[in-house]
Amino acid sequence: MNISPVHYIALPLLAAFLIPLLSKLHKELARIVPGLVFLYFLVISVVLMQRLETQPMISEVIAGWSAPWGINLVFTPFSGFLVSLMSFIGFLVWVYSYHFKKIDYMPAQKYFILLMMLVTGSIGIVLTGDIFNLFVFLEIVAISAYSLTAFYPGRDGAEAAFKYLLVGSFASALILLAIVILYTQTGTLNMADLAVKMHEVPHYLKVIIFVLFLVGFGIEAEMFPLNGWAPDAYSQAPGPIGAVFAGIVVKGGIYALVRVVYTIFDLSGVGTILIALGLVTMIIAELAALRQDNLKRMLAYSSIGQMGVVLIAFGIGTDTAIFAALFLMLNHALIKSMLFFSASYLLYNSTTKTIKELTGMAKHLPFVSFIFALGAFAIVGLPPFSGFWSKLYFLMAAADAQMVLLIITVLSVSVIEIIYYFRVIGKIYSKDETSELEPKKPTINSVLVMTVLGALIIIIGVYPDLVTDWIHHASDALVNKSNYIQNVLTENLPR
Amino acid sequence: MKKFFVIALLAILGFYLTIAFLQIPFGQNRLGQPQDEATVGAYYLNNTKEKSAVSNVVTAIVVNYRGFDTLGEVTVLFLASTGLASILYRRKEEEVERINKPSSSLLQTGSKFLFPLVVLLGIYVFIHGHLTPGGGFQGGAIIATGFLLMLIAYQKYHVSHSMLTWVESLAGVLFVSIGLWGLITGGTFLENSYFPKGVLNSLISGGAIPIIYIAVGFKVAAELTGVLDILLNTKEEKSVPSNQNEK
Repeated sequence: MNISPVHYIALPLLAAFLIPLLSKLHKELARIVPGLVFLYFLVISVVLMQRLETQPMISEVIAGWSAPWGINLVFTPFSGFLVSLMSFIGFLVWVYSYHFKKIDYMPAQKYFILLMMLVTGSIGIVLTGDIFNLFVFLEIVAISAYSLTAFYPGRDGAEAAFKYLLVGSFASALILLAIVILYTQTGTLNMADLAVKMHEVPHYLKVIIFVLFLVGFGIEAEMFPLNGWAPDAYSQAPGPIGAVFAGIVVKGGIYALVRVVYTIFDLSGVGTILIALGLVTMIIAELAALRQDNLKRMLAYSSIGQMGVVLIAFGIGTDTAIFAALFLMLNHALIKSMLFFSASYLLYNSTTKTIKELTGMAKHLPFVSFIFALGAFAIVGLPPFSGFWSKLYFLMAAADAQMVLLIITVLSVSVIEIIYYFRVIGKIYSKDETSELEPKKPTINSVLVMTVLGALIIIIGVYPDLVTDWIHHASDALVNKSNYIQNVLTENLPR
Repeated sequence: MKKFFVIALLAILGFYLTIAFLQIPFGQNRLGQPQDEATVGAYYLNNTKEKSAVSNVVTAIVVNYRGFDTLGEVTVLFLASTGLASILYRRKEEEVERINKPSSSLLQTGSKFLFPLVVLLGIYVFIHGHLTPGGGFQGGAIIATGFLLMLIAYQKYHVSHSMLTWVESLAGVLFVSIGLWGLITGGTFLENSYFPKGVLNSLISGGAIPIIYIAVGFKVAAELTGVLDILLNTKEEKSVPSNQNEK
């Protein structure tokens, strides 16, 4: 059995169905099996990325029916980049949360199944070449995300999950509506085939479909004004799940939006809309982050702000801008998950989760505080960390496109970012008083995970060339639409 | 002011959606002419009989052409029941008895009589999924209503969770394994041509399609029953009916 993209989906599903039986055999298996699946994800990613060096993309047919008739999975350098990133973050989250709910094994079993499916669903969104299949994976992601948000019993978690459920179902409905209209006009669901037949659709219908997709995927991608669910969900879900939301799930939403904009539609003026939406998202989110007392809500708003910058970069749409957008996504996944990992330990025994309670925490938890500070420096874009390069590339792209006003806005928003992150660091390292919180010593796994992420951020910061080639391939693959269509539709049409 | 905005927004949205939906000629043949292979629908209508030996084209689309989607939908249901179980989870010692009045003997006798018939109907629907309208999801839902009837009629009625887990897991594993079998034999995931096709219009036809639909039927039945059982056995916090105090 050759390694192929469908392994990303088939094996976790098999594992998810087996785990309830396996954990009857031995309770520990419910924790170990998802880890093995994540490990296998990394193996597939390495093998497939190597195979991409000899061929432009891997298009895999499902159920023996080639492109427009059946469903297919497409592994391009662009999707490969995102999938590898998601697998990596997923594996780290598993290592970090291995001891989660050590005593009570039933919730742990559910937690690991849901975590595995959350990652698998996001990977599915990126891999699939079929618009309805994308919707199915979006549902898998959404259902696991709602359940994980309400994982801790209590009123707040339930409220956050219910809010997320309402908004998320609305998004699903709009996306489904868009797919229905698209299908009645073109008679196909395959994304490459849709891109070919798109010119048959009347212009005003195109606009309606596009707006429905934009709002639907915008909710998942945390675009303003559709991101009301995000801060609640981030702060109520278990700590590591915040990292999954920021590192993996949002990336799936952005991917879906970008795939629709760049591959399926050929509308003019979309770039301007994305830039405008991204700008508003960024400014409002960063201003909101400044006003937060709750650390996790602050991180959530900061995450939304970063996604705004990514949207702007995709909106500019030049090669350098897309390169910058992917680099920003990579950095955001690494840094934000590290911030969530360390913040969970800083707030471990707190009930209110406010920043005030962190005063002098550095004395109790020197390592975790250091990691948090490192993450904060990196995310605001200070050299010599990885965040610096992505921001620099972004500003260069904006300068190439001669958007001076944009550069000024992004830079002034960065100042706001620096203010609120440094306020937290100042509190943590304050010497006046010590926190009343009872600190929880980080486990070896979590120390390991945070060290790996911290090291990566510094290494990429010092040698950005290590990843730029990889990102260049990815951004080229996204821009080259005709190549995508040709490979999906012609390579396997002999049937 | 806020209300005005909401109404205006809804009006705009409604206007454009109406325009979009007026474009869909309901009741007309949107699958394209059978001779014209350009649309996906026409291809399905033309080729399903010979290539898959399934007389119900809808089932062929659901289980074979778009079987990957169906696997996804089955997973969505699985996740929903897993998520519900995790949200409503309580430790053994906290477990509470259901609070509802005992039902009348009419309902009790009636459901005892109806239960096997309902289950039989459900099984019939999913076994004949590739021949007649209906299939795994519908059959599974019918079976779950049978269990719901029993749960309502008998206060003490309990479905064994361990049994539900077994049915659910094995059915899911069977579905994925059929998919993987295609990969192992050198074809593609969920490929149907590696199974004997059988004779069109007979019970044994369509290769793996009926097997998959039976697995889906069992899985859906087990999951929905599990969800009902969990929901009925959950005590709402602080909502103990006040009639006891009034007495």
